[in-house]
Amino acid sequence: MNQSAKTSSGNSNSSNLDSVTLDVKDISVSFGGVKPVQNVSFSIKENSFTSVIGPNGAGKTSLFNLISGINKVSSGEIIFRGEAIESIHAHKIAQKGLIRTFQGAKIIKRLTVAENLMMAVKDNPGDNLSGFLKPKKRKAFELLARAEAMRRLDQVGLTKFADEYAGILSGGQRKLLDLSRALMAKPSLLLLDEPFAGVNPTLVEKLLTVLAELRKEQSMTFLLIEHDLETVMNISDRVIVMADGKIIADGLPNSIYENELVIDAYLGSRRKDA
Amino acid sequence: MQAFVQPGFWVFVLALAGIYGIFALGLQIQYGVGGIMNFGHVGMMAVSGYSIAVLVIKYQWSFWWAAFFGVVLAAFLGALLGLTTLRLSGDYFAIASIAFAEITRYWILNTDSVTGGTQGTLAIPSPSGFGGYTDQPDKILTWISDLLYPIVGDEASRDMAMIFIVWPFLFLLILISSRLQQTSWARVLRATREDDDVPRSLGKNVFRFRLQTLIIGSVFGGIAGVFWALQFALLAPEDFLRIVTFYGWMILILAGATRVKGLIIASIFFGFLYGSTRFLEFWPLSLLSSPERAYLRVFLIGLVIVLLMVKRPQGLFGKRQEMVLE
Repeated sequence: MNQSAKTSSGNSNSSNLDSVTLDVKDISVSFGGVKPVQNVSFSIKENSFTSVIGPNGAGKTSLFNLISGINKVSSGEIIFRGEAIESIHAHKIAQKGLIRTFQGAKIIKRLTVAENLMMAVKDNPGDNLSGFLKPKKRKAFELLARAEAMRRLDQVGLTKFADEYAGILSGGQRKLLDLSRALMAKPSLLLLDEPFAGVNPTLVEKLLTVLAELRKEQSMTFLLIEHDLETVMNISDRVIVMADGKIIADGLPNSIYENELVIDAYLGSRRKDA
Repeated sequence: MQAFVQPGFWVFVLALAGIYGIFALGLQIQYGVGGIMNFGHVGMMAVSGYSIAVLVIKYQWSFWWAAFFGVVLAAFLGALLGLTTLRLSGDYFAIASIAFAEITRYWILNTDSVTGGTQGTLAIPSPSGFGGYTDQPDKILTWISDLLYPIVGDEASRDMAMIFIVWPFLFLLILISSRLQQTSWARVLRATREDDDVPRSLGKNVFRFRLQTLIIGSVFGGIAGVFWALQFALLAPEDFLRIVTFYGWMILILAGATRVKGLIIASIFFGFLYGSTRFLEFWPLSLLSSPERAYLRVFLIGLVIVLLMVKRPQGLFGKRQEMVLE
């Protein structure tokens, strides 16, 4: 693990740390008889890096779907920067600065790699039909968006694919594109759903450094779902452990590692083997 | 076969192709950009065409205001259709759109006192006792054909004059549409075609983008209806059968759904196919009567669509790479 990523992210406690960015209060959801998330509560402090871990089917992605508004809660409240968001549309939540990536790296295959990124830019005058009547303003914005997209692509080593259809990218490259696209939207809280799965370790280190820099320079807050415990332990201030739709542990990375419930539900065999 | 060498035949083909080109342009922006499967597009053409006939004949409106109103009404109904049904996913919206077009046609068919019912616009009650509605534009068409007479002689006709009105409009609308499709607005729409969740999670109001596309497509459908009403000068409910929408789809598939400029060649090909079937008089087709041969177009169009799907699913001008990306 890259040491700089470890020190500049995991240990950074800014003065903003006490203000709550996201407050999840007793949320549950049920789809028919299935209850993927049950009475989950937690708060995320501004400029923090929190990871959510748990076995497959624990409800981690369902939790992200509820926070980001893709699915609606059956009960409970979600407060983002002081505003209840549990019943508003997903796009409005995103406009408030809560952006997410997807477990399956949802890319738009028939847009180019650069277009995938440029789509994410906020407040693009060309996104409105009225922007059609202001071609100069629209084109100037497009140039800026393109430059920003190229910078992001350079960060993840995808520059040479900029004008290729995103559908030609490999699974790992799609993950990188998904992550870069989310960053293009300049989030204040970024939900990352297994962003490093299938990405080569060298690049993971580089990305962690990028995330750490964003956290430091732009006061960005992160909520990460990740199965690689080494990554989780190194980058997180705090770890939430889920199993069967519920939170079974919540605390500092080291304390989680020693928690008996967590060992039984998730770490068990791995710890014992070690 | 002699008909094929007659200039009059090609003039008719081009006039028809121009109208269908505008019609298909509406489908192109809806499906080719926004992924909206509208199988009821003919309804917009019917609404604007009949609006002109009713407003001019029954209420003595100026043709131009009636045409404007017809296009606005098509846009309004596009918005209404979208607001009520656009949240349905692809196939279900397609079915709802067919229902919309059929409701429109049945309303026209059964409201004799307004639309003339089964007898068409000739039966619309008129204070002047005359059922025509093209007097005003006919003056312009006559003026154009008079201008053409010294150049083409007796071939100067109303159909030929129509070409000089319809085709500049088609080019203008293609230009506007292709410019529109280069904007970030269209980029978001192309994303919604593949996956709603991505643009939504990036702060894009997918419903708004889709609704706007449906309205723009409806405006194009409405403009096609204006030209249809002008070209044929008499409307009947059977002009707006479901098959008309699928003629538009054939043009779109032929051009390649994402290729707006391909519509020009595709609509000319369609116009030829549409206009030529009744002239296929050689054996064994000579055993059929002329109206029976006209129905061959339906079979031929079906055959062309099937062959395209098998041999060139991206259309004549589409990119094959787009079809194989997974």
